[in-house]
Amino acid sequence: MISKIGFLVNPIAGMGGKVGLKGTDGVSDKAKSLGAKPVAPSKALETLEEFLSSYSQRDNIEWFTCSGLMGYDELLKAGAKKIQVLYTYKKSKTSSDDTRDACEKFLQKEVDLILFCGGDGTARDVYSVVGDNIPILGIPSGVKMHSAVFGVNTSATAKMLHEFVNNRLTIGDAEIMDLDEERYRKGEWNIKLFGVAKGIVEPTYVQVGKSVFESVTDNAVKDELAEHIQDEIKENPGFLYLFGSGGTIDYIAGKLGLKNTLLGIDAYYSGKIICSDLNEESILKLLDKYPKTKVILSPIGAQGFILGRGNLQLSPQVIRKIGINNIIVVSTPSKLASTPVIRVDTGDKNLDKMFFEHEFMLVVIGYRLSRVVRIQI
Amino acid sequence: MIIMGEELIMKRNPNAFLKEEYEELVKNNFDWKLRMLETGSTPHSVVDGKKVIMLCSNNYLNLSNHPRLVKGAIDAAKKFGAGSGSVRAIAGTMKIHMEVEKRLAKFKGTEASLIYQTGFAANAGLIPQLAGKDDIIISDELNHGSIIDGVRLAKTDRAVYKHKDMGELEKVLIDSDKKYRRILIITDGVFSMDGDIAPMDKIVKLAQKYGAMTYVDDAHGEGVIGPDGRGIGAHFGLEGKIDVEMGTFSKAFGVVGGLIAGSQDLVNFAYNKSRTWLLSGSHPPAVAGAQLAAIDVLETEPEHVKNLWDNTRYFKKELKSMGFDTGESETPITPVIVGESSKAKELSNKLYQEGVFALPIVFPMVAKDKARIRTMMNAGLTKKDLDFTLEKFQKLGKQLKII
Repeated sequence: MISKIGFLVNPIAGMGGKVGLKGTDGVSDKAKSLGAKPVAPSKALETLEEFLSSYSQRDNIEWFTCSGLMGYDELLKAGAKKIQVLYTYKKSKTSSDDTRDACEKFLQKEVDLILFCGGDGTARDVYSVVGDNIPILGIPSGVKMHSAVFGVNTSATAKMLHEFVNNRLTIGDAEIMDLDEERYRKGEWNIKLFGVAKGIVEPTYVQVGKSVFESVTDNAVKDELAEHIQDEIKENPGFLYLFGSGGTIDYIAGKLGLKNTLLGIDAYYSGKIICSDLNEESILKLLDKYPKTKVILSPIGAQGFILGRGNLQLSPQVIRKIGINNIIVVSTPSKLASTPVIRVDTGDKNLDKMFFEHEFMLVVIGYRLSRVVRIQI
Repeated sequence: MIIMGEELIMKRNPNAFLKEEYEELVKNNFDWKLRMLETGSTPHSVVDGKKVIMLCSNNYLNLSNHPRLVKGAIDAAKKFGAGSGSVRAIAGTMKIHMEVEKRLAKFKGTEASLIYQTGFAANAGLIPQLAGKDDIIISDELNHGSIIDGVRLAKTDRAVYKHKDMGELEKVLIDSDKKYRRILIITDGVFSMDGDIAPMDKIVKLAQKYGAMTYVDDAHGEGVIGPDGRGIGAHFGLEGKIDVEMGTFSKAFGVVGGLIAGSQDLVNFAYNKSRTWLLSGSHPPAVAGAQLAAIDVLETEPEHVKNLWDNTRYFKKELKSMGFDTGESETPITPVIVGESSKAKELSNKLYQEGVFALPIVFPMVAKDKARIRTMMNAGLTKKDLDFTLEKFQKLGKQLKII
């Protein structure tokens, strides 16, 4: 039973959006001078109020937080009991250092979960300290929210927390994504995969009796996916396999005894990884050498993207060479439960169109088991 | 145990898990609390000492206590004995078993039929034989657990399509057409949680287009839908066009036993290959006698199916007019959707206290916000019984702020 929650708000998150900046990282002063108003504190308050009003054992929860607008004010206003301030920010304005320092304190107190309010930048800061030690849950309040740790809105986040403390949701992979804001403001679009955190996910259920279901851990499902991929590889000798990025594929590769790059693309041929962490150029070279290639992808982040988020190495040219029919998409059912669609954003309109014309994709969700998933624009 | 001198050392406790796992189920409230009937399964039953209106049996036509079925069982037992002595394949096939199969095929409008020990045995025994390594089974996402188990036993690829979504089914067919040797589409005929019917006409059409085999589990449609309750094939006018019509004698027919109906080739294949059929004892003569009588009754007493549907229509109409959400049901299974799981459980408990026996179906059987009471109509209930039941639903629905 969960009882200790670390809670922090990044008060300036989301301010850049309303004034046309693509984020607030490092430019909060500019955002303020353009007339931006804080949005995160009110989003945090909404979430807390909804959670506290629906959760019957709310008084049992110990809240660990930061001073003022970084958490304490919102908790107090929402009516939380048992609040302990672990971190006090010093300067008049907060920065990512404050987020990271606060998370250090939460970890020392051995909290069960960190609830934070912010955007992809904040998620990245939290993740950089917490890693995959404890689950994190984001109240969406940033300009960019590609990471899979966010609820879709404040109400959904409150509900997720409620279901989690009642043991109806479980812990699974959640990718931390962020746009490189420096490059973006210069006109370059590059969403990177920073890491795989522990998030809150819908469990997968299997029927064990007429009306009895057991929830299966994400890892048990991934074991099945690994078995599937093992068969797939065995049945197609002579093929080069590119292993995509993200937690699911990393787990599969691990099960096959391969040393895989979590955040990058690796090439496998005839029993071993032959090249690691490939860039576009080296992939294209490989494709010349190995005309028969398949690529294994999994939806990354919050919106179900298999291409264009966190794997720009798989450029339009690469995908065209491999062929859409040689893409194998694998996913845990929990990932499809929150995002029941597949999205692509290759950067090449014509190629995207070719995907959309397929309408559906068969996504592998278990051993020799696939399901139809819609491809959405 | 290892005996060392006088000492007795327990190496491990091989039985400890039985208690531990059971207690875990009890703790999570996942264990089955068995309810005991002190009467037969009749429209008015005594359940755990309380007289209730039965709304959760599968005895749709109230045939389980029909005098002709009871007589059929007694006569067969008197003539052929209590047991059959063997598996069907060796020495357990009696004339009466063959007679049921012949009559059943005629009733279903198919070339041949085969009776299995149970519906589960039919699915678990036949499905794995119909598809192998180079084949694919395509399955509706809401198919029954016994299909899922049958499919699991098959060494084959599997694809799942969204409930009744023909667009998705066709996409899988197009994809499968290129990759596989054979394609098998499996669906429930009547879906047991929502009471809706698979679009069998469209499924058969798509199957013909892509050269796929069709398999329908008509457990809840047998004796219920189609003229005189002849099942889903007759309902869509597709007699003999569905490759495998699977069903059961345990629901509307009021007895027990699984069945398949289709071509003679199918039946020859099925009884030579289904391990469940080959390796379990055949039905006692009394069961076969009752099955035969059930077919007789359906062919000669159309009033049961008519009563079932009159009751169903009245019950659904009244529930709707009270403001209940009864979902998409097209059959005598009428879900009363109440939302939260706790509310469904509470409504079911209160109904029982008031003399109506209907069980809740909750997450993850159905979506989190679609918890329900699943009612199953019985042809033997009178209008007075239904009005009594409806009054309780209305009273408790208001009390629990459902309507």
